[in-house]
Amino acid sequence: MALIAEKYAEEIEGILKRFPDKKSAVLPLMHLAQQAYGHMSREAMQEVADILEISPTHVLALSGFYSLYYEEPVGKYVLEICNDLACALRGADEFVEMVCHKLGVPVDGTTADGLFTVKTVMCLGACDRAPMLQCNLKFEEHLDEEKFDQLIARLRAEAESGKEEPSVVEKIMAYAKS
Amino acid sequence: MSDLVTVTIDGVEVTVPQGTLVVDAAKMIDNDIPVFCYHPKLKPVGMCRMCLVEIGVPMRDRATGEVLRNEDGSVRLNFGRGLQTACTVVVSDGMVVRTATQPVKDAREAVIEFLLTSHPLDCPICDKGGECPLQNLTMRYGRGESRFDFSNKILLDKHVPLGELIYLDRQRCIQCARCIRFQDEVVDDPVIDFHNRGRRLEIVTLSEPGFDSYWSGNTTDICPVGALTTADFRFGARPWELTSVASVCTHCPVGCNTTLDTRREAIAGGRSVIKRVMPRQNEWVNEIWICDKGRFVHHYADAPTRLKQPLVRKNGQLVEASWDEALDLVAGKLQQHKTAVAGLAGDRLSNEDLYLFQKLFREGLGSNNIDLANRRLAGGDVVAQVGLASGSNLKELGAGDAVLVVATDLHEEAPVWWLRVKQAAERGAVVVVANLRPTRLDKFATHRLHYAPGEALSTIRQLVNLAKVEMETADSDPLAAAADALIKAKNMVVFYGSEGLTYEETDALARLLANLLLVKNGEGHVGRPNNGLIPVWPHSNTQGAWDMGVHPAFAPGYKPVSEPGLRATDIYAGVADGSLKALFVIGADPVGDGLMADRGQLDFLVVQELFMTKTAELADVVLPAQSWAEREGTFTTGERRVQRYYMAIPPIGDSRPDWQILAQINERVGLGKPAFAASLVFNEIAKVVPQYKGMDYRSLARVEKQWPDVGGEDLYYGGTAHENRSGLGQQWACVAESATVERFDVAEQPVIARDGLQLVRVAALYTSGTLIEQSPVLHHRMARPTIQLAHADATALGLADDDRAEVTVNSVTYETAVRVNEQVPAGLVLLSGVPYIAGLTTAQIRKLETAVAQPTGD
Repeated sequence: MALIAEKYAEEIEGILKRFPDKKSAVLPLMHLAQQAYGHMSREAMQEVADILEISPTHVLALSGFYSLYYEEPVGKYVLEICNDLACALRGADEFVEMVCHKLGVPVDGTTADGLFTVKTVMCLGACDRAPMLQCNLKFEEHLDEEKFDQLIARLRAEAESGKEEPSVVEKIMAYAKS
Repeated sequence: MSDLVTVTIDGVEVTVPQGTLVVDAAKMIDNDIPVFCYHPKLKPVGMCRMCLVEIGVPMRDRATGEVLRNEDGSVRLNFGRGLQTACTVVVSDGMVVRTATQPVKDAREAVIEFLLTSHPLDCPICDKGGECPLQNLTMRYGRGESRFDFSNKILLDKHVPLGELIYLDRQRCIQCARCIRFQDEVVDDPVIDFHNRGRRLEIVTLSEPGFDSYWSGNTTDICPVGALTTADFRFGARPWELTSVASVCTHCPVGCNTTLDTRREAIAGGRSVIKRVMPRQNEWVNEIWICDKGRFVHHYADAPTRLKQPLVRKNGQLVEASWDEALDLVAGKLQQHKTAVAGLAGDRLSNEDLYLFQKLFREGLGSNNIDLANRRLAGGDVVAQVGLASGSNLKELGAGDAVLVVATDLHEEAPVWWLRVKQAAERGAVVVVANLRPTRLDKFATHRLHYAPGEALSTIRQLVNLAKVEMETADSDPLAAAADALIKAKNMVVFYGSEGLTYEETDALARLLANLLLVKNGEGHVGRPNNGLIPVWPHSNTQGAWDMGVHPAFAPGYKPVSEPGLRATDIYAGVADGSLKALFVIGADPVGDGLMADRGQLDFLVVQELFMTKTAELADVVLPAQSWAEREGTFTTGERRVQRYYMAIPPIGDSRPDWQILAQINERVGLGKPAFAASLVFNEIAKVVPQYKGMDYRSLARVEKQWPDVGGEDLYYGGTAHENRSGLGQQWACVAESATVERFDVAEQPVIARDGLQLVRVAALYTSGTLIEQSPVLHHRMARPTIQLAHADATALGLADDDRAEVTVNSVTYETAVRVNEQVPAGLVLLSGVPYIAGLTTAQIRKLETAVAQPTGD
């Protein structure tokens, strides 16, 4: 398949130009592929590998190493809740339980409408604002049940209206063109 | 500043080259610092922390740079704040290393304890148990019991096939990455990698087939635990039950040193059988690596279809007979047809076999009608003059040196040579590849010369002419630039093969390349170590066949005969037209290979073989020979290194070694009492063949200390490749080492007009053959008949990727897969997975419309 090669031809060219060695462009290209394919599927890995002339196994290794690449399909919004030590002391575990209960999915599960995926992650460096989560790379801090309800309501409205905040890929594309 | 530095390790002073790692310096004085992730053939990574030691360096006054001293006059040392990894720290002058202090012992104990947190306690069923670095180092440095709770052990998958050849046990893996680094750094097949992090880390592959590499077996040797095992040996035997016998690989001209690990088995009726093939260290030949073909193809030795009893044709049927009856018949018939006999040999036979075979014809029957059944590559006589000089080691080639590789795909034909040339390139050697099409070596080459079909010789001729001209500046013409780089090199090694060439063309090629080596730029590139010609022979002992005089025009030792006999092609013609009456075929299958249609007008055909080949089926007498594993002998590699192999398993049935059968026939035709040992035949060879003068089985068995240490006590350092205790072999000296060699005359080859799409047969390592077919473990990897061509050419034929096609070459038709490959130059079709085809032919390709079921290859 050549999904990103067609869809993001200009961006890929822009990204490749920024590195002395093609292989080094693997992480931004993986973000593009993840956006285009929905997640880091085997086809996505193969396409990135083909573009960069590297082994697909290498792409798989990177997607396994970095927690921002999802090898299984995920929802539109990925809620990555920190349950590392500091957050745990501020009730992160109970918070995770509450979130799962509200959305009706287990950890790593995706809601039936395909909007939300719940994940737990290690420290995101916002211990003073615990409990917290990261939603599509944006931090939501000092969370409690009320704030979480507001967040979910806002995201649902955003998804319905079609007006979305710039995604990581759009940031990458801006970077590629700069 | 000197290139050597002196360090003190546990009170012992050692002087080593600059840049040496502490762990290696310690090894040189037999101070074994334990390691898991470090391997002397890989770049250090410092991942496992097992090699932690105390390292102190002399303190210096910051202002003056003077070494500071204690009151007693001793040098003040700075040991830093903690332990350091001996595998990543490079020695420096005055360094003091302590490897036996309490902090070091504590650190080792802790590392072992951590490595064992989730390691299973399945040593009793683990293939590695008994030769396991983790087991050994735990016994030596571990604390005996763990402070971790047993119930906290993470259970991971224990049977993860990384493809069908190599299995991963995730629980046993200690995440040292030796396998991953080997595949990436050493053999450039980065098809395995780590996935996930922490305790969920696992080794994965996405290649198709899984772990797609000709080198995968080596990872099981260097794996310091039982995480990687081969499908072939998995649960096969305990290492301590194995008897190891030194051997030499019989599948290409490299001559990798191997060890056959054997065990007596009830299921084999109490016989000893080969359980696995392991590399045996020979830093001049294969270092500590072997390719997967060499590792897995041994099953033919034990195949149930092996011939076990002499067979004689009676009333049209081949029936079992006694050796005496069969041998009397053979000797009688050969003598009866004395004037019309011929002999055809395979080039996998030992020197002893080949010598006695030609002796039978030359001395016993007075005939020079003796040849190899299938000659592909010429130039043995040229190699005898200007071959790679004795004392050479491809490992020494580097910056300032050059390697030229012509008309061969080393990765497919002689994988270890590919590896060694690749590594020479990485050390800075100029590598020039000249071929019809790109090969795996192109990536590492400094100069790539892709000539058009039919222009191989003219291109090389031009290269030689350009090399003769002194050039002021590097020319922009790629050919001139390559010639300049080659001729200015300190040392030059030239490999040549037969891809796309006829036998006559390879002869001209060898001579042209010899002339290139003879061009004087200072000394010329012949007769000195690490200079000369290496033929990429089709088989393991083609070199020996030349040396032993299995050639119609050369007696042993390259002595020209006064009346040359018939060449193989003439012998096949003679068989057909009745001018030959008796034919002796040994270790070859000309009928199966399509060289001989049938037994023609022969009155008598004798075949000496391991298997009932197509040729043997037509024979009057079939003599069952022993495989290389059941007997001893010598092979001579393409680098002209004579190497010994030893008897590993008892004979199958009533089979006999080839040399013995021949000695017994020779006695019957009046050549005197037969030699009763292979060593005695070799002694005769050493008398008759000047090149082998001074060699005997003892001199070939000589060993010397090699670096790095492998096997033996040092499993964890170098892996389970075997230490070489049985012989490094001897390289024979070519003429250029002692005399001046004149330039070779090169006969002009007719230039054939090349119209239309040209087809060339290219090599694939796992191409079907009598021997490889006996190894079911490799069936899935066998090269199926395939054509590759450029997109435009494919379109013109109405072909697309994954189509099936019918390809006709020399009136033989193959059904092939179709691969569109932009790497293939326009106008060329590469045909692989089929028996050897010489030269170029105009492609006759027809698309197969109906989808034909592909072989499943179980």
